[in-house]
Amino acid sequence: MKVFKRAFTYIFLSVAAFFSIFPFFWMVVSSTNKSVDVTKGRLLPGSHLFENMKNLFETVNMGQALLNSAMIAIATTVLALIIASLAGYGFEIYRSRKKDILFNILLLSMMIPFAALMVPLYRMFGGISQTLPIIGIDTLAAALLPTITTAFLIFFFRQNTKMFAKELIEAGRIDGLSELGIFFKIFMPSMKTAYAAAAIITFMNSWNNYLWPLVVLQSPEKQTIPLLISNLGSSYSPDYGVSFLAIVIATIPTALVFFLMQRHFVAGMMGSVK
Amino acid sequence: MRRIGLLLLISILLVACSETSDTKGNNDSNEITAWAWDPKFNIAALELAEKSYDGEEEVELKIIENAQDDIISKLNTGLGSGTMKGMPNIVLIEDYRAQSFLQSYPDVFYDLSDYLNAEDFADYKIEPTSLDGKMYGLPFDTGVTGLFIRTDILEEAGYTVEDFKDITWDEYIEMGKDIREKTGKHMLTLDFNDLGIIRVMAQSAGKWYLEEDGVTPDLANNEALKESFRIFKTLIDEDVAGIHTDWSQLLAGFNSGDVVSAVQGSWIIPSIKAEESQSGKWEVVPIPRLNLKESVSASNLGGSSFYVLNIDGKEKAAEFLKNTFGSNVEFYQDLMREVGAVGTFLPAAEGEAYQTEDAFFSGQKIYADLASWMEQVPPINYGIHTYSIEDILIVEMQNYFNGQDVDKVLESAQKQVESR
Amino acid sequence: MNHKRKSQTIGWVFVLISTVFITIFYFYPMFQALLLSFKSGMGNNLENVGFSNYKRLFGDPTFIAALKNTFIYLIFQVPIMIILALVFSVLLNDPKLRFKGFFRIAIFLPAVTSLVAYSVIFKNIFAQNGIINKFLIDISLISEPIQWLTNPILAKIVIIMAITWRWTGYNMIFYLSGLQNIDASIYEAARMDGANAFQIFTKITIPMLKPIILFTSITSTIGTLQIFDETMNITNGGPGNGTVSISQYIYNLSFKYTPDFGYAAAVSFVIVILIVLFSLIQFRVAGDRK
Repeated sequence: MKVFKRAFTYIFLSVAAFFSIFPFFWMVVSSTNKSVDVTKGRLLPGSHLFENMKNLFETVNMGQALLNSAMIAIATTVLALIIASLAGYGFEIYRSRKKDILFNILLLSMMIPFAALMVPLYRMFGGISQTLPIIGIDTLAAALLPTITTAFLIFFFRQNTKMFAKELIEAGRIDGLSELGIFFKIFMPSMKTAYAAAAIITFMNSWNNYLWPLVVLQSPEKQTIPLLISNLGSSYSPDYGVSFLAIVIATIPTALVFFLMQRHFVAGMMGSVK
Repeated sequence: MRRIGLLLLISILLVACSETSDTKGNNDSNEITAWAWDPKFNIAALELAEKSYDGEEEVELKIIENAQDDIISKLNTGLGSGTMKGMPNIVLIEDYRAQSFLQSYPDVFYDLSDYLNAEDFADYKIEPTSLDGKMYGLPFDTGVTGLFIRTDILEEAGYTVEDFKDITWDEYIEMGKDIREKTGKHMLTLDFNDLGIIRVMAQSAGKWYLEEDGVTPDLANNEALKESFRIFKTLIDEDVAGIHTDWSQLLAGFNSGDVVSAVQGSWIIPSIKAEESQSGKWEVVPIPRLNLKESVSASNLGGSSFYVLNIDGKEKAAEFLKNTFGSNVEFYQDLMREVGAVGTFLPAAEGEAYQTEDAFFSGQKIYADLASWMEQVPPINYGIHTYSIEDILIVEMQNYFNGQDVDKVLESAQKQVESR
Repeated sequence: MNHKRKSQTIGWVFVLISTVFITIFYFYPMFQALLLSFKSGMGNNLENVGFSNYKRLFGDPTFIAALKNTFIYLIFQVPIMIILALVFSVLLNDPKLRFKGFFRIAIFLPAVTSLVAYSVIFKNIFAQNGIINKFLIDISLISEPIQWLTNPILAKIVIIMAITWRWTGYNMIFYLSGLQNIDASIYEAARMDGANAFQIFTKITIPMLKPIILFTSITSTIGTLQIFDETMNITNGGPGNGTVSISQYIYNLSFKYTPDFGYAAAVSFVIVILIVLFSLIQFRVAGDRK
C-alpha cells in the first residue's frame, strides 16, 4: 500500500514535470535550429546553434541588455524586499484600526490594470525630467521606481508575519533590542523562506517587466531583455532560431535565482531558529 | 544588518551610476533620432539613407529599433500624456494607422508639404499620409500585393503560371480545388483573426470599411466587402485554403512546400526566399480580382511612411528625408540592390536596379513588375478606424461561418460601428 | 499605556515608505485615470462627457464578451490552480521524497519561460496540424483535426490550460515557503494519533496555511481578472471575441485602435470595482478578521 502511494506520487510528479518542461525543451531545441525548421516545428536538436549565436551577437547588444536588466532586477529585488517586509511587519505587529484601513487602501493599488496608469505615469515622469533628470524619462531609475513598492509584496509579508511566532518579539524586547533591531535581528533571519520566495518572485517579475520599461526607456543602450526579445521578433521575416536563442539566454538568470534560493525550501529546517 | 545596508547601497549606486555616462549627449544639435522596426528592411533603409545623405547641414542619425506594436504603444503613451520628452524626430507609422495619429494629436506632426512633391509618389500613398491637404508623411515602402506561386507544383498538377494571370478569385478557387485534389496541397492559408486578405480584396475594388470621407462606416450594402466575405468563406469551405493561427505557421506553410501560393505584400519576399532549396520554383503574378467591374488585379497590404514630429530638429529631419527618400533616384537603386526594399518614389522605377532578374523567382524581373502594379493600386482613404472596425468584422466573420446571412452580419457590423 | 503608544508610533514608521511610494506611483495616476474616465475623444482631443463612458459600457458587445470570458477564466482557473499548487507543494515538502530539487524547478520553469516563447509554442502545439492533433489522429481517437484555436469554447479551454500551466509553479513557491513555518512536531503528533495523509492535509496543512492561501487566492483572482498576456499572445482574443479579456480590451482601446483613453479608463474602473467585490468576499470567507 505504502509502495503503491509512493509510486503514484512519483508518477504524478513526473507527468507534471514532463508537461512543465516540454515547452521549455522545445524552446531550447529551437535555439539550435534554422528559422525555417523552427516554424515547421522540428523537435530534434539541430546544428545551427553557433550560426544563431553569431547572428544574435552580431545584430544586437545582448550583453548590454543583460546588464541593464540585471541592474534593474537586483536593485528592485533588494529595495522591494526591505520596503515591503517593513510594511508587512508593521501592519501586522503594530496592528490598529487605522492601520488596517490604510492597509486596505493600499491593497486597492493592485486592482487597476497597469495599462490604465501608463499615460498619467508618463506625464508625471515627464514633469520629473524637468527638475530631476537623473530619475526622469529614459533612466533605469525611472524604469524601476514604480515597481519597488507593491501592495502585493506588502500583503505577502503581512500574511507571513501572521504565521510568525510572536513570542520571539517579546523575548527580543526583554533582551533590550529596539523595535527596528527586533525586525532586523529576529524577524528577518527567521523568515528566510518567505524572503527567498519573495526574492524569486520579485526578481522574476522585474526581469520580465515589459510595458513600463518599454515606454519609459528610449535609448538603445538602456534597453532591457524583454524589449530586445520583442524587437527580435518584430521584423517582417523574423529569424525564429535567433529569437529562441535569445529567449533561452534570457531565461537563465531567473532559473538561476530560483535555483540558489530554493535551498531555503528544505523541509524540516525550521527547528534551528525556533 | 550590515550586509543588508551594503546591498542597499550597492543597488542604489548601480542604478545611479549608470546614468552619469550619457546625461549630456542629447544637446548635440546635429543628432536626430528615428524610430523604426525591421533591421533588415526599414532600419537598413534608414542606415543607407544616412550614408547617402549629402545635404548642406550635418546630420547625425540615431536609429532606435522597436517592434511596430511597441512604437505604437510608446507614441500613444508619450503623445497622449502631452509630454514630448523622449519622442523621436522621425517615426515610421503604418499607413492604416496614420490618420488615427494625425487626427488624434493635432500639431504634433510637422507639415512636409514644402519639402516634398506629391506627384513623385504612388497615388495611393498620398491620401493616408495627408490631412487637410497637407502632406505629413513621406510615403516609403509599398505593400503592393502579388500572387506568389510555386511553378513546379502547378506543373505537377497540369497548370502553368499563365493560367493564373488575369483571373478572378472564383477562377482561382476552381483551379485550386483541382490542384488540391491532385497534389493534396492547400493553395494558401488564412487566419480568422487577421482579415488582411479582406483588406486586399476590398482595396482592389477601390472600397474600404469606410466611405471616402474616412469617417462614415460603409459595411452594410458594400458589394466589394460582401464579395470578399463570400470568397473568404468559399476558400475555407472548399478546402482550397488551410488555416493558420500564427505568423510562423503562415511562413511554415510555404517554406515547407505544403502550400502552393501566397497573396501578400511585397515585403513577404525575404520570407519566401528564406527556404533556399525552393530557388527557381517561384514566380509572382498579379493577384486575382473580384467579380466586380471596378475591381483590378492590384492592391496593397500594409506599407508605411515616415513622419516628422513637431519638436526641436524638425527642419533638419525634414531636410534629411527630402534629400534622401524624397528626391534621390540613385539612393533608391542602392536601396533596391542592398536592402531589396521597394519604395513608392515613382521616378526610381526608371532606374536600372529595378530591371534586375531574380534567379529565385525563375529569372523574373519581379521588382519592375511590382513597381508597375503599384501604379494601378486604387487610392483609398483608410480613415481612422481600420483596426477597431476589423475587430468587429472578425466577430461577424465567425457569425457568417456559423451560418448567418452575409447581408445580416455586415448590417450588424454597421450598426455596431455607428453606435459608438 | 506608554509602551503601547510608543510602539504604535514606531508602527507608522514601518509602513511610511511604502505608503509614500504607493501614493505617488499608484494613487496619483489612479486618480488621474479616474478623472480621465469622465472624458472622451480621440487621443488628445478630450472633452468632458460625464458618465457617458460608463453608460456606453452596457451596450458595448466587446466589453460584454470580455467580461463574460474573464469570469469564465476566473471561475474555472483559480480553483484548479490553487488546488494543484497546494498538492504539488505538499508532495514536494515531503522530506523523504527524492529528486525534490528537480521536480521543484521543473514545475516552476513555466513561470520563467518567456511569454514570447510559450505563446509561439502553445500556438504550435494546438494548431490545426499541431502535435496534439497529430497524436490524437495517430492513436485513432479522432479522424478530423480538432479546431482548438478557432472554436470559441476550445480556445477558452486552451487559455485556461495556458494560465494554469504558467502560474501553478509560481503559486507553489508561496506554499512551499509557508509550509516551512509549520512545525514538524505537529505532524508527528498527528501521525501518532493515527491521522492519514488526507486528514493531515485538510486538518493541519490547510488551516495552518490559511493566511497564505488567502493571499494567493486574492492575488490570483486579481491576476486572472487582469489577464492579458495569454489572450493577447495565444489567441489574440479570437476566434471572434471568443477569448478576449477585459485588460486586452483596455489595451486595444488605448493603443491598437484610435486611442480613447477616457473610455479605456472607464473600463479599468469596472475591473477595480469587480476586484474589490471579490476580495471582500474572499476576506469574509476566509474569516481573516480576528
